[in-house]
Amino acid sequence: MKSEKTSNLIQSILIHIVLIILALLILLPIYAIFLASFKPGGLLVQYGLNLEIDFSVMSFDNYKLLFSGTSDYWIWFRNSLIITAISVVCTLAVSAFVAYGFAAYEFKFKQAAFLIVLLILSVPFEVIMLPLYKQMTNWGLMDSYVAIVLPFVAHASTIFFFRQYLLGMPIELIESGRIDGANEYSIFLRLIVPIMKPAFAAMAILNGMNAWNNYLWPLLVISSNSKYTLTLGLNTLLSPYGNNYSLLLVGSFFSIVPIFILFVCFQKYFIEGMTAGAVKG
Amino acid sequence: MKKILALILSMAMVLSLLTACGSSSSSSTSDSSTTTDSSAASDSDDDSGDSFVMDEPEGEYTDLTVWTFNELHQEFYIDMAEKWNEENPDKQVRLTLMNMDYDAMHNKLSIALESGTGAPDVVDIEIGKFPSFINGASIDLYDLSDAIEPYLDEIVETRLDIYSKDGSVYGYPTHVGTTVAFYNVELLEEAGIDYESIETWDDWKEAGVAYYEATGKQFSNLETTAQWVVNLMLVQKGGSYLDEDGNPNLTSDELTEVLNFLVECQDTGAFSPMPGGQPDSDEAYASFNQGDYACQIMPFWQTSRFTNYMTDLSGKVAIATVPRLSTSDTTPWTIGGGGTGTAIVASSENAELAAEVFAYIKLSSEASVEIWSVLGFDPVNTAIWTDTEITENPDNAFVQYFVNSPFYALNEMADSIGALSDQTSAYWSDITNEISTVTLEEIFENGTSVEDALESSQDTVMTYVS
Amino acid sequence: MKTIKKFVYNQKVAPYVFILPFVLSVLLFWVVPIAQGIRLSFFNTLQEEFVGLKNYTKIFSDKIFLKALYHSVRYTIGTLILLLPLPLLFATMLNSKLTSKTAGFFKSIYFIPALTSVVVAGTIFRLMFGELDTSLANQVLNALGGSSIKWLKMDWPSYFILLLLACWRWMGVNILYYLAGLQSIPADLYEAASIDGATKLQQFTHISIPLVQPTTVYVMTISIYAGLSMYVESSMLWTGNNSPMNIGLTIVGYLYRQGIEKRNMGYACAVGMILLIIVMVINILQLIANGTIKVGKKEG
Repeated sequence: MKSEKTSNLIQSILIHIVLIILALLILLPIYAIFLASFKPGGLLVQYGLNLEIDFSVMSFDNYKLLFSGTSDYWIWFRNSLIITAISVVCTLAVSAFVAYGFAAYEFKFKQAAFLIVLLILSVPFEVIMLPLYKQMTNWGLMDSYVAIVLPFVAHASTIFFFRQYLLGMPIELIESGRIDGANEYSIFLRLIVPIMKPAFAAMAILNGMNAWNNYLWPLLVISSNSKYTLTLGLNTLLSPYGNNYSLLLVGSFFSIVPIFILFVCFQKYFIEGMTAGAVKG
Repeated sequence: MKKILALILSMAMVLSLLTACGSSSSSSTSDSSTTTDSSAASDSDDDSGDSFVMDEPEGEYTDLTVWTFNELHQEFYIDMAEKWNEENPDKQVRLTLMNMDYDAMHNKLSIALESGTGAPDVVDIEIGKFPSFINGASIDLYDLSDAIEPYLDEIVETRLDIYSKDGSVYGYPTHVGTTVAFYNVELLEEAGIDYESIETWDDWKEAGVAYYEATGKQFSNLETTAQWVVNLMLVQKGGSYLDEDGNPNLTSDELTEVLNFLVECQDTGAFSPMPGGQPDSDEAYASFNQGDYACQIMPFWQTSRFTNYMTDLSGKVAIATVPRLSTSDTTPWTIGGGGTGTAIVASSENAELAAEVFAYIKLSSEASVEIWSVLGFDPVNTAIWTDTEITENPDNAFVQYFVNSPFYALNEMADSIGALSDQTSAYWSDITNEISTVTLEEIFENGTSVEDALESSQDTVMTYVS
Repeated sequence: MKTIKKFVYNQKVAPYVFILPFVLSVLLFWVVPIAQGIRLSFFNTLQEEFVGLKNYTKIFSDKIFLKALYHSVRYTIGTLILLLPLPLLFATMLNSKLTSKTAGFFKSIYFIPALTSVVVAGTIFRLMFGELDTSLANQVLNALGGSSIKWLKMDWPSYFILLLLACWRWMGVNILYYLAGLQSIPADLYEAASIDGATKLQQFTHISIPLVQPTTVYVMTISIYAGLSMYVESSMLWTGNNSPMNIGLTIVGYLYRQGIEKRNMGYACAVGMILLIIVMVINILQLIANGTIKVGKKEG
């Protein structure tokens, strides 16, 4: 008994050493950018990114620059927040609606339609990007957030995930709803949506990440700088003019913070949702 | 508990953002008060971002949108547009300027022209990208030949050729980009080398060897990601990247000789590829700044990189003429390198006016003064090149930085500035892409023989010839 | 009006109403653009002439395309080799009773990189792997007694950096996927096995690996998809689409170069179609091999 305890302890220590090493490796680049956010951007250009701590060159100047409001950083930040919020809400609502259709009913062409979901999962967006751009121009949607969000509201992988999740729901729930005289849509709204909470949390995080970090498509669609998202804005800082690099460093570091807080808070639901959804294959 | 915390945090975040945005947009307007007055700002909500809107001129005016990929151009355009408005009250304009990342801007322009909407009125197009806009079945850019007429006598004409197709001009040059040699005089003096005695490429090579023997350090760089020196030497030899039919020809004797000469230089040990692959890159600034190299051959606009990024060398760098094959050469002595052509989009409603305004903004002698003193470029309008009051103005940051008068070398070579005509070819982007990403890398970094590298690159490029 | 309402509320009609948004979006945002792409791929858009299959025949003699294809495939294979087994291993550690108290902490840490945008992550890696002696990677090399490397100028080092970047960003996400998979395995299976005297390793290979197969399928599918369409990572590492010897060029990068930078839409669309075919074939084969497509049918 005692020996099992010690062997458990040794195992536990070994496992933790491995996990800690991985954690340190993963944190290393973040730490490097964190350090760099206190250094003048010019140094970065000259010496590259490293872990040297030299208090004589480090200061809060970059942070002052960021918060002084002379840059457009917070405008980009706000735009990214807006786009992320809109696209998460729209994508979750529409995808859940569609997924329920696939999960709860038998109907003609269901197989075919679901096969299309799977096929679309494997169409690289980049392939249709250029023709889609032309189409958006024809509809006069260029330079609008609608063009960024709309093509993805019925999001194949989110639909897939929700459907998997709903396959596990109790059929009796729907039946009891029907007996109570509720129509198909209020069954969905009143009975199904509440049990999908963990799935929503999981997909909210994944879709939120995508929307927050989306780069290629907004780059094509958005042309006025006042509508730039954070990724587009940060990218404009890549030229070494003025304070660009200073702002890039501190701005990059800062762009991670809010979404990380959200993740930590919703982590429990995230894992729960994942467990109940995707893994059922 | 966690839920509540999350809620509070996200609320706080959103709130702080909204307030931050409010304050930042107001302070950014006041900050850029030189370009945007507050009344104009409150009229439009769209004046944030890197876009500038000029002050609203009094009286009638026309709105023009302008895309740039260099922030410095924005201020310059606004200054000049204000001057234009003063002189032409009947043809006033208000510029809305948008600055974007280099790739992003060209890509967006390409897509906008392709799809027929979303293009600006005026756009800066970098020379490497220019051919793709003037070699299609239809050209979406406005013919500037008429607008350029009044300035034709005063400007370096070879700089128009690179933006021309079939006799029509589609872009206003910003500068000549005369290729010059930059020498770190302090380092050379320590090694006992007089840069003024370097006249030919052989002198250049010998100076390199002497410097290397004296100091153990590299004399100059060999480019692997650009072609400043290669293009220069090729033109000096009268060579070309194209054959008589205009098809790519990378295996010409001239190009082979040029590269073999540079390989010989590398073999001496005094020349090597520099960090970043060429002098105009972040790593290279640092490397040159700390004295790893004593010489670089670059277009004149490199001056602004010196004053901005190689500040330790202030008072140590001289600008000299470039070496040539022999002092009795009849081919061009130097060439213009790099450049940005300002083009007018043909479908713009105000194309004609825009063409006239930008001819003034970029080619007039007023513009030239500004181009030199603000941007540090060698203006296309050579009228001011000899005006020492401007070129040697002691208040000028560039005059202060360099050891000798920046215009001395320019005037020496002024009558013999050529151009690489290949730059307008439909195949140019394929050629330059191949040379500056593959060929030079193969030769100088991987040790492939010049002949093999060129032959293989010729093969690659010919894929695109239909 | 009433009849419309009745029609929509009909139990037979409702499913179609539910999937209507999806059908519409597929038609508008996928079918039409793909059709458009197929049409354009038969044109030389620069000269505005119909060229038939010429774009396609050209592609297979285009050395640069083949290079881009090779890079994309190589990258995809690399990510599969690294980002399937390692996350499973770490997830197993995190799922163990020994880490029950600390797992939450590690999960949060591992997930951070996924929250950074490619623009930020790519820039960090580019600067860490600069060619100067003072960049982090070279400092480490020098400390280990090696000499500095021009990381982003050489083929294999840059491949390594791309994989490292992929691992950095996706390790945490894949760990969470696997963790979810592992947690849905009933605990009594392991108990029964350990009563039968199975070692931890045997439990791992005989219980964990087969039972997380659905997760593996899912992760594999998204990895193939993401791997073959990788572009932004490379464009951030080389600040643009041009890398020395084209070592960073991928299929999508080439599509971008042809379609946008060179304005040769027709050829770019042909490249796109080739990519589409490759990805679809691989994913369909893979889904059939794993029975996922059949599963969908059975439940239908």
